[in-house]
Amino acid sequence: MKIRVTLTGRSYHAASQLPPEIELADGAKLSDALNHIGELLPDDAPLPASCLIALGGQHVGSVFSHEDVELSDGQELTLVAPVAGG
Amino acid sequence: MSLTPEELERYDRQIGNGVLTEPQQAKLKSSTVLVTRVGGMGGPAAQMLAMAGVGKIIIAHGGEMISPDLNRQVLGSEAVLGQPRAEHFAEYLRTMNRFIEVEAMAHEPDDDEADELARRCDLIVSCPPTFEERLRLGRAAFAAGIPLIDAAQWGMTGTLIVLKPGETISLDQLYPQAPPFEEFFPVVGAISCATGALAALEAIKILSGAGTPLIGKMLVYDGFHARSNILDLGTPP
Repeated sequence: MKIRVTLTGRSYHAASQLPPEIELADGAKLSDALNHIGELLPDDAPLPASCLIALGGQHVGSVFSHEDVELSDGQELTLVAPVAGG
Repeated sequence: MSLTPEELERYDRQIGNGVLTEPQQAKLKSSTVLVTRVGGMGGPAAQMLAMAGVGKIIIAHGGEMISPDLNRQVLGSEAVLGQPRAEHFAEYLRTMNRFIEVEAMAHEPDDDEADELARRCDLIVSCPPTFEERLRLGRAAFAAGIPLIDAAQWGMTGTLIVLKPGETISLDQLYPQAPPFEEFFPVVGAISCATGALAALEAIKILSGAGTPLIGKMLVYDGFHARSNILDLGTPP
C-alpha cells in the first residue's frame, strides 16, 4: 500500500529527502512507516522524539509517544517537527 | 462597555459585514490580553491587537535590543539598540492607539507571575523562544480557564496552535517530551510577522466572538515550500 507523507515544521529543509509517497506492505503499522522514513532521512536530520504525528489530519501523538495503529492504503501521514522560535 | 464616537471613527474599517459588529468591537475594548514575548511574532501580534482596539495589552519581554533583532522585531528600531525592549515597545504601541492601555513587564514571567497575569487576562498570546516558557504559559492559561494562542517559528516556517481549557488538549499533552532549547535559530522576519498577525487574528475572533477560531487545531505554514497543513489536535482524554 501507499502512504502519502508530509514532513514539515522544524525539519522542512529535510523534506526534499522524502518522496511524496512511501510503499509499505499491506497491514503495515505506524511504526513501520516511521522506520521507513527514518531510513530515508540523512543521519544528521533524524525525526526528533518530539515530532508530532497526524494521520488524515488528526493528531495521534508524537514519535516519542503514539499508539502503533495499522495504516490503510492512501492514508496521509503528516510529521511536524516542533518549532519554538519566538 | 460602549464605544465613543472617536473610537467608532478609528475602527470604522473593521466594523461591518464580514468583520466585526459594534458590540463585538466593544468586547475587544473590554478585553485584556497578555503577549509574551514581543519580538518577531509577539511584536506584530501586539501591534495588531493594539490597532484593532483590544482595551488592555500586557507585554512581557526581558533584555536589551541587539542588532540581529532588527530583521524581525517590528516594535524596535535603530534608536532602541542597546536599550531594554519592554518599555520602548510599550511606548511605541501607545503611539499606535490612544484609546487603549499598554502595560510593560521588563522580564519574562516566572510560574507565579504567569499565573497571576493569566488571572488578569482574557487570553494569552504565547511567543517565547523556549518550550519551557511556552509550557509555563500554557499551564497558566489552563489554570485560569482562558484560551492560549501559541505561535512559533523557525527559518521560513511558522506554527499556530489555539487551545482552550475544557475543549482541547493542553500544551503539556501535545508535547509530552519538549524539544531542547535552540538559542540561535534562523528566522526570516516575514514569517515572524505573518505568524504573529495570524495569532492576533485568532485572538480578535475569540475575544469578539466573530468568525470561526482555530480552536483545537494547529496551523503549519511552510513558507520555504509554500504549503500549509492544519492538524486537528483532538479533545481532552
